[in-house]
Amino acid sequence: MSEKIYGLMAEFDSPGALLRAAEKISAGGYRKWDCFTPFPIHGLDKVMGYRNSLVGWVALAGGAFMFLNIAGLIWFANAFDYPVIVGGKPMFSAPMTFVPAYIMMIMGGALGALIGMFGINQLPRLHHPLLGKKRFASASRDKFVVVIGANDEKFCATQTKQLLETLGGANVEIVEEQE
Amino acid sequence: MSLPQNNPPKAALKSALPGAMIFIGGALTVVGLIASFSRNGGKEFGFSWLLAFMFYYSIALGALFMVMVHHLTDAGWSVGIRRFCEHLASLLRWPLLLMFLPVGLLAPKIYAWLSAGTPATNDLIAAKYPVFTLPGFWITSAIFFAIWWLLSSRLCKRSLQQDETGSVECTRKMRFHSGWGIVAFALTLTFSGVFWMQATSYQWFSAMYGVYFFASSVWAALAFIYVISVALLRQGILTPVLKQNYFYFIGVLLLAFTLLASYTEFAQYFVVWNANMPTETFWYLRREEGGWWTLSLILILGKCFIPFFALLPIHTKTNFKVLIPVCLLIAVMHYADLAFNILPAWHPGQHHTKWLLLHLGTVLFMGGVLAKIFIAKFNAHPPYPQRDPRLLEAMGVSHNVVNDLIEANAGGAK
Repeated sequence: MSEKIYGLMAEFDSPGALLRAAEKISAGGYRKWDCFTPFPIHGLDKVMGYRNSLVGWVALAGGAFMFLNIAGLIWFANAFDYPVIVGGKPMFSAPMTFVPAYIMMIMGGALGALIGMFGINQLPRLHHPLLGKKRFASASRDKFVVVIGANDEKFCATQTKQLLETLGGANVEIVEEQE
Repeated sequence: MSLPQNNPPKAALKSALPGAMIFIGGALTVVGLIASFSRNGGKEFGFSWLLAFMFYYSIALGALFMVMVHHLTDAGWSVGIRRFCEHLASLLRWPLLLMFLPVGLLAPKIYAWLSAGTPATNDLIAAKYPVFTLPGFWITSAIFFAIWWLLSSRLCKRSLQQDETGSVECTRKMRFHSGWGIVAFALTLTFSGVFWMQATSYQWFSAMYGVYFFASSVWAALAFIYVISVALLRQGILTPVLKQNYFYFIGVLLLAFTLLASYTEFAQYFVVWNANMPTETFWYLRREEGGWWTLSLILILGKCFIPFFALLPIHTKTNFKVLIPVCLLIAVMHYADLAFNILPAWHPGQHHTKWLLLHLGTVLFMGGVLAKIFIAKFNAHPPYPQRDPRLLEAMGVSHNVVNDLIEANAGGAK
């Protein structure tokens, strides 16, 4: 069995205790850590210093790409490759392309959002180290779990463990990376 | 945070702006009025006054819509902004009725259909026979104002009554009036938009016109609501009932109506462009000549793309430094859009720049007078509904208790 460490995990009993701990961890300069709670806790994202997700930008890029793509396709088909006069209209005109391009822009935006979400979450994956921990299941019931990743620059197996314990974390455990 | 008291506090909104607007606008209007009557028998003044009237009238209608939607959806957050929306909507009573009188008196100059022949000689007049006559014009307009008068006075009266009694019956009554009101609103808004604005080019048809006018009106009204909310927040008048996320909600609505207004305007163009019938295309052809072409391009940018992309990111909706300029742009663009609809009927090709001063004058003067009336109405009553059943929710007291506890907890550990 590999000895590679994924991170350190600690349990807290209440949202308040978790928020207090999160504030200290954030102030301690940690960047790669996460909280797992049975229900959403308002204000946690602020304490953890979360910014807006990048998914919106991916969706925007997907939408813009599709819009230009379809407008270009219509221009290519109707005005460049095989020009045919239909209804006395110009070969190419902006209003003509707008509706198909707009609809495919929605498609592109939706696909962009989906792909962006998967990409940023590093999904799909078959397993996660945290799922190997029996105690982690309590994060879906009545415990508030903090995990500090070993890939964090400030991570140190002993000092980080100490920090979590002084913050009131119970059952501080090492989470192993599994091959 | 203070709870509602038995003696409702009076609002004290102050602004030097309306006075200045009346002064400058009044001077320009008088000069323009004399010039217009000596050059073209008041026709220019009539169009200019109609344009300014449509601008403020659409904003009052948009505010009325917001009040009714608030009641119909049983909304909580908008309790704080409801009172001044009611006052904006109540401008539809005698203030805007008085402002409409010059339009009515100059109607023969403004509306070509009044001198376009008799039903016997003109098919288009015959098709709309009882309405498209001078008595028909006055009677129809009177019906519009009667409905708005009834609607806005009922909604205002019950709202103010609730400040005194705290009775739930008032909320029920306001909901009832919103119920029939939203239907009456849809009909009167559509018909008045078609009758007063679209009928300047009476030969033209568009099934999209009503919904387009609705979308633009609420859009501009939301921009006004945003700016007034910020002003009332800065003067500390609505501090207890205006939270950061309420501005986000108004911003979201503003974004939605930016889309709806652009969509309806584009759809109207698209249908006319596709059908390609001379009875419809003439309206757009006229607006592709001279300065109107430039204006139409400015509108595509300023009415659709700039507000859309400015409102799109989540954080700008609560950022006053971005949103106040955007709201001002929306107001200007709404005015320009109305001008694009109304003025080419009288100024095909090129618009004389000297008359722009008259347009500026009428819009400033009318805005100043209406703002004075609005501020007087607002200051005569409590600044927000004092005993609305949803007031505590709007103040963020009831449903955020857990939040506050958590915040207090987290704050206590600092």
